[in-house]
Amino acid sequence: MRTDIVRLYKDIHTWTGIVAGLALFIAFYAGAITMFETELQRWATVPSELAPPPALEQTDALVAATLAEVPEAGRRFMVNIDPTPEAPARVTWETGGRRGHGILDEARHFGASFDETGNLQVAEFRKTDVAQLVDVLHQQVGLPFDHEISMMIMGAISLLYALALVSGTIVLIPSLIKDLFLVRVGRNLKRMWLDVHNVLGIFSLPFHLVMALTAVVFAFHDQIYDLQSEVIYDGEIEKYWAAGSPRPTPHPDGTPLLGAAAMLARIGEQAPDFRVMTLSYAQQRNGQYMVQAYGTDIRHGVRTPTTGIGIVDAYDGSFIRTNLVPGEQDGWNATLTAFFALHFGSFGGYSVRWGYFFLGLAGAFLFYSGNLLWIESRRKKARKAGQVEQKRSTRVMAALTVGVSFGCIAGISLTIAAAKWLPMLVDNAGPWHIGLYYALFLAAVAWAFVRGAARAGVDLLLLCAATTALIPLSSLLASLTPAHMPWNHGGTDGLLVDLVAVAGTVFFALMALRAHRRVTEGPTDSVWAAQAPDLKPAE
Amino acid sequence: MAKQQTGTLSSKNWLGRASAGLILGFGIAIGLSALFAHFGPGGFNGESTKMQMTMWMTSPIWVTVLCCCFLFQTGLRAWLWLGATNIFIFAAYFGGRALVT
Repeated sequence: MRTDIVRLYKDIHTWTGIVAGLALFIAFYAGAITMFETELQRWATVPSELAPPPALEQTDALVAATLAEVPEAGRRFMVNIDPTPEAPARVTWETGGRRGHGILDEARHFGASFDETGNLQVAEFRKTDVAQLVDVLHQQVGLPFDHEISMMIMGAISLLYALALVSGTIVLIPSLIKDLFLVRVGRNLKRMWLDVHNVLGIFSLPFHLVMALTAVVFAFHDQIYDLQSEVIYDGEIEKYWAAGSPRPTPHPDGTPLLGAAAMLARIGEQAPDFRVMTLSYAQQRNGQYMVQAYGTDIRHGVRTPTTGIGIVDAYDGSFIRTNLVPGEQDGWNATLTAFFALHFGSFGGYSVRWGYFFLGLAGAFLFYSGNLLWIESRRKKARKAGQVEQKRSTRVMAALTVGVSFGCIAGISLTIAAAKWLPMLVDNAGPWHIGLYYALFLAAVAWAFVRGAARAGVDLLLLCAATTALIPLSSLLASLTPAHMPWNHGGTDGLLVDLVAVAGTVFFALMALRAHRRVTEGPTDSVWAAQAPDLKPAE
Repeated sequence: MAKQQTGTLSSKNWLGRASAGLILGFGIAIGLSALFAHFGPGGFNGESTKMQMTMWMTSPIWVTVLCCCFLFQTGLRAWLWLGATNIFIFAAYFGGRALVT
């Protein structure tokens, strides 16, 4: 390969990487955690006060009693096939608020059950905001702007990310065969970091290409559709969307809804491997209902982060639309679903989720190591004359790198741990979750600048270990206190959150030890040495 | 591109090439997606599945042009070549639609 091309793309890789790297770190760290969004939600949701859900066969009586008592539930309600702590009732609905991208949607959630005497019982339940906060951090890395503006910035970052991937691969090609399985651990730190960076980058390249190409779409799809509407659809794209929306055939007035158990049986006849989790009943303009059946089939990818969707006739249980039902899609729709499923990791069940979790963490580490390399390449080595002053740019970038990365980790851990405590202290935990995250994140960045990257790196890693330890400690305290709060749910899903947090704690503590050794014993001609006051004005 | 062998490439003056890749690459992506929508498999059918596919295909095209635009010697060449590609694609698209209707 021509050396000028390699040099060209090396420059592109350096600058795209350094501009987008820290945003991508947050996106990937938070994104890795969203792989277990359901489990996190379960871990963090306050137990409901409702009586245990009645048997599935009693659903129809419960729905009828609920609709008679609470007319506003009639617009849209859910029947949960296996109620779980985060959706704790057989029948649930929400009022107020629109489910948007914000964390502060004002929606209130209700559930219905029968008490011991068989009377209808309706109670509000509190959905946790913390899982959605992590998801929003993943999507817009905590940018404090309107969703639309944040997404434009994220789109730009995604394009830089794609450029960094392609350019990094081109730079690696000439030495690919020689270096592929080589990680040279030794005195030459830059060599070691570069080998690790390369091996991670090249082996997770397919994953990253998928993420970059899909992220560009997720960021810009509104703008692309708007432009395509003018160019392709003569400005009438809405007309085509509307024409394509499902239209159930009207049934005679007074036709009873098909019972939940019968509905499941009918869906099972039509799509035997589609495991339905929730039936969502929405009232149409003519007053009749249409059902969206949410469910999975782990042999196939699904369109949303957790489920596929079947559109079902509410009165006879026949499919109106199967284009989002896993396993029942035509080639075009299965291809579209693949784009989503490959981004969300929503295929192949738990093994793929774990794989994506580690690929996401490895991605975060890829960007972190990229920044380290940038800093190391600009390091001024001491000559015989004695100490050298490191450049201001590398000191600033080093402080930003540890502050942003570890601030994000510690902030997420703290706000997750707070989910077990906030509900008994405040009515609306959402703003507190956001506040806690930003407070710790900003404090960590400030600390990195005040203390200098080297010492702050150790402090902040200890902070990461401490805040992450709060997660299992909160659960442990909950299991020791008999009071209603804090709480634990039974089962292994909550345990998963605690165990991952324990592993994280150990990892961060070990890293803090290593970083401490580097600061005190490593070469002193580096931004990672403690000797010089790190951020006194340069020159 | 034919003269590429004569000079060496560098990352200097990247803005002209990058802006060409970003803006005209997006144009190429929209243009090719328009050709796909009207003259690709199944023709123009107004179905939501094909509309979504038409939207999705812009991303890899756009990214590809953006990644390759630095191989032009200068920003001016990038704008001329990619601009000409745009004109060609959109001429084919609007011409094709005029012929069909």
